[in-house]
Amino acid sequence: MVVCTLCSCYPWPVLGLPPVWYKSAPYRSRAVTDPRGVLKDFGLTLPADTEICVWDSTAETRYLVVPIRPAGTDDWSEETLAELVTRDSMIGVGPPRSPQDVR
Amino acid sequence: MNGAHDMGGMQGFGPVVAEPNEPVFHAEWEKRVFALTFAMSISARWNTDLMRFVRENRHPAEYLSMSYYQIWFTALEAMMKERALVTEDEIVAGHAFEEGKLALRILTPDGALKMLSRGGPTERDGSKKARFSPGDRVRARNINPLTHTRLPRYVRGHVGTIARITGYHVYPDSNATGAGENPQWLYSVHFAGPELWGQETDPSISVYVDAWEPYLEPT
Repeated sequence: MVVCTLCSCYPWPVLGLPPVWYKSAPYRSRAVTDPRGVLKDFGLTLPADTEICVWDSTAETRYLVVPIRPAGTDDWSEETLAELVTRDSMIGVGPPRSPQDVR
Repeated sequence: MNGAHDMGGMQGFGPVVAEPNEPVFHAEWEKRVFALTFAMSISARWNTDLMRFVRENRHPAEYLSMSYYQIWFTALEAMMKERALVTEDEIVAGHAFEEGKLALRILTPDGALKMLSRGGPTERDGSKKARFSPGDRVRARNINPLTHTRLPRYVRGHVGTIARITGYHVYPDSNATGAGENPQWLYSVHFAGPELWGQETDPSISVYVDAWEPYLEPT
């Protein structure tokens, strides 16, 4: 999960300008201390043993998440796979789209 | 400074609420503030670190009650007044009383696109040897400067591990005070959740923070 607790640093050239929630106090305060709770706010519950790493963008380095490739997409082209990738999945607060959604 | 902007670990703000189909801007004035901020930033009269300090250097109650672009606008106004690019009378009147001062550089539409896609690189050349290596245990110093810093409160005094050397970068604590770029080695430092938030904390969470060398000491 990617956050900027100090202002709202975000990979503009790749993802565009950040949504309001990314810049908001609830996200900036809780992402580093309760990322599991933040994911629940987005409707995502991960298994208790899934490790969660949070990157706090305190310098000029920008981060984004490469989403997990869903099962059953081994023969998919790069273009089709790209359709599964959402902004939120690159911030690390949501899963990619499911293969059924784009086929 | 220990301002309201340093939010990591604060409580009571409630859930994160995402707006469905959110527009890029919520009002025309936000677009103008965004554009003005960029047009003025390339006039080279201040740097990003100083601008960040001007944004965060306000009463916590005020900071928390303002929207993102309100904070941007108020900071831009303050900077322009401080650098005598605009007067209070002109802001109240909504137009200039004096002839405009020549900007050092002028932002064009082409230039704006280039600038936004390039970002603001802060990596510098340097021959100084990095003090720490990946795997080293380090403690984030307990510092509480009144000036700008990018070491968040929630890691100060805590022990982490150097994950990666990120490069040799402009040091914001120096750059924001006008003391020059004073570049330093920058590290990605890994902190375990229980180290930051106590033994009761879910051990499956951890945080990476980018920290300049002067923020860190060996353990």
